[in-house]
Amino acid sequence: MSEVLPEKQEGESDMKKQHHIDLLPGEVAQTVILSPDLDYAAQIAGHLSNSKVTAKKRQYATYNGEWNGVPVSVTSTGIGSPGLAIAVEELIMVGAKNFILFGTGSILQTWMPVPSLVISAAAVRGDGTSREYFPLEYPAVADWMTVEVMAETARRNSVQALTGYVRSNDALFAESIYAGKINYLKRSKPWIDAGCLATSNEAAALFTLAAVRGCRAGALVFALSSLKRPYTSTYLPSGTVEKAFSEAVRTTLDAASALASFNN
Amino acid sequence: MRDLHYEVQHHINMRQGDIAPTVLIPGDPDRPQLFASLMDKAEKVTEKREYVTYTGTKDGVPITCTSTGLGTPPTAIGVEELCRIGAKNIIRIGTCGALQPFLKPGHMIIATGAVRGEHTSEELIDMEYPAAADYRVVRALVDACKKLGLPYHTGIIRTHDAFYLESPWAHGDYKARLKPWVDMGVLALDNESSTLFVIAAMNNVRAGTILSSGYSILEEHPEQDRIHAEENVKKMVMAAIEAAKLLDERGLA
Repeated sequence: MSEVLPEKQEGESDMKKQHHIDLLPGEVAQTVILSPDLDYAAQIAGHLSNSKVTAKKRQYATYNGEWNGVPVSVTSTGIGSPGLAIAVEELIMVGAKNFILFGTGSILQTWMPVPSLVISAAAVRGDGTSREYFPLEYPAVADWMTVEVMAETARRNSVQALTGYVRSNDALFAESIYAGKINYLKRSKPWIDAGCLATSNEAAALFTLAAVRGCRAGALVFALSSLKRPYTSTYLPSGTVEKAFSEAVRTTLDAASALASFNN
Repeated sequence: MRDLHYEVQHHINMRQGDIAPTVLIPGDPDRPQLFASLMDKAEKVTEKREYVTYTGTKDGVPITCTSTGLGTPPTAIGVEELCRIGAKNIIRIGTCGALQPFLKPGHMIIATGAVRGEHTSEELIDMEYPAAADYRVVRALVDACKKLGLPYHTGIIRTHDAFYLESPWAHGDYKARLKPWVDMGVLALDNESSTLFVIAAMNNVRAGTILSSGYSILEEHPEQDRIHAEENVKKMVMAAIEAAKLLDERGLA
């Protein structure tokens, strides 16, 4: 993978470039994997063939390449819905149509294994960004065909993935094991009781925005921490987290290339 | 604490074993009879208030139809009780107020989610919680429409409580009230789906909605009063029966 940024062409105007993601129209594939984690974005992009960094500005790095012979992009968004919404809006303006969020989150149900992979069918709108956009009664639903493709991909790859609802919110330190004085278990209880499987800060903003803009969106949550234990691989058999991570990446990439073959 | 799952349910008047795994729920108490007429054989199970139930078989697959009455309060009661006695899939069947100009009579609307413009589900869980249809039920309804050759649209609909605020016969400027939803791409209005989706998800039951469309209620149309022709409603019920068969075939019933 090339780490060298392309030279600016003579006469190329900065005005046409999207303000934050720094991309020109056409500089992104139709299908984009979004990763709030900058390092994960680079790692996922490392699997693509002919992968190169197309742009890098603030927390937004976009990598273009191919998977299964199909053009796929990976864009890092930074943590949280505000940063993700900017990326999604700008990516749509330069040509993106399908989004798969590769999120990290916390496991919410005691019966779930650690780590767990969760395919999000819908999300609880505990974030502020989607509220500013759309009335709260509008549902944050993943594109049903994307969910179907992701579930089918996991099954075909013999990857254990659960399909269900996730909880999105803004303040990590209010609703996670990392919380300080706040009673995060009490705050999480309604969502646990309603059967939500995991947390994913960005899913709700992505689902609402993509649906209204006429794009497809889905999310895979790589859930490592739980409400009882912070993220650490020390108590797990060696290699467990690495195996789950590579399964999650593979499922995301395979689903992305399958989605790219859809006519939009 | 009493385990309510084993009792005869107070409103739908049925207990475990009285329903098929897939239950179709129209609002209109007359519609289970139409359902029965489209099955190979079907019998009335019970009738109490607006809850009328018929169960029958189509090509060997058992399917139940229970009316819920119009509106989210009785729908919530019916759905909750159906979940308690073992329903695996609940599919709302009905009519709607179409909102997009490309919708026409004879088109089927398959909801992927619903705007929670009603209050019943909010009493159960905060508004942040999504009202989403199950993707496997959506798939079954889509495949059923394809099989029967019916034009269909998938997307988000809006459920609300006050019919006479958002319909062609409404008080005041209903078009202005509906504009934000139209702009967001919402396909149609109904009065039950979001409550169904929320309660089903909370009970780990799969849910979906299929609605028979008319012309957009934002347009003047000479045939506006005839939009819910019995013929189209019948096709919609047939699609739901076909979807129930597909769910059974796919090991989801």
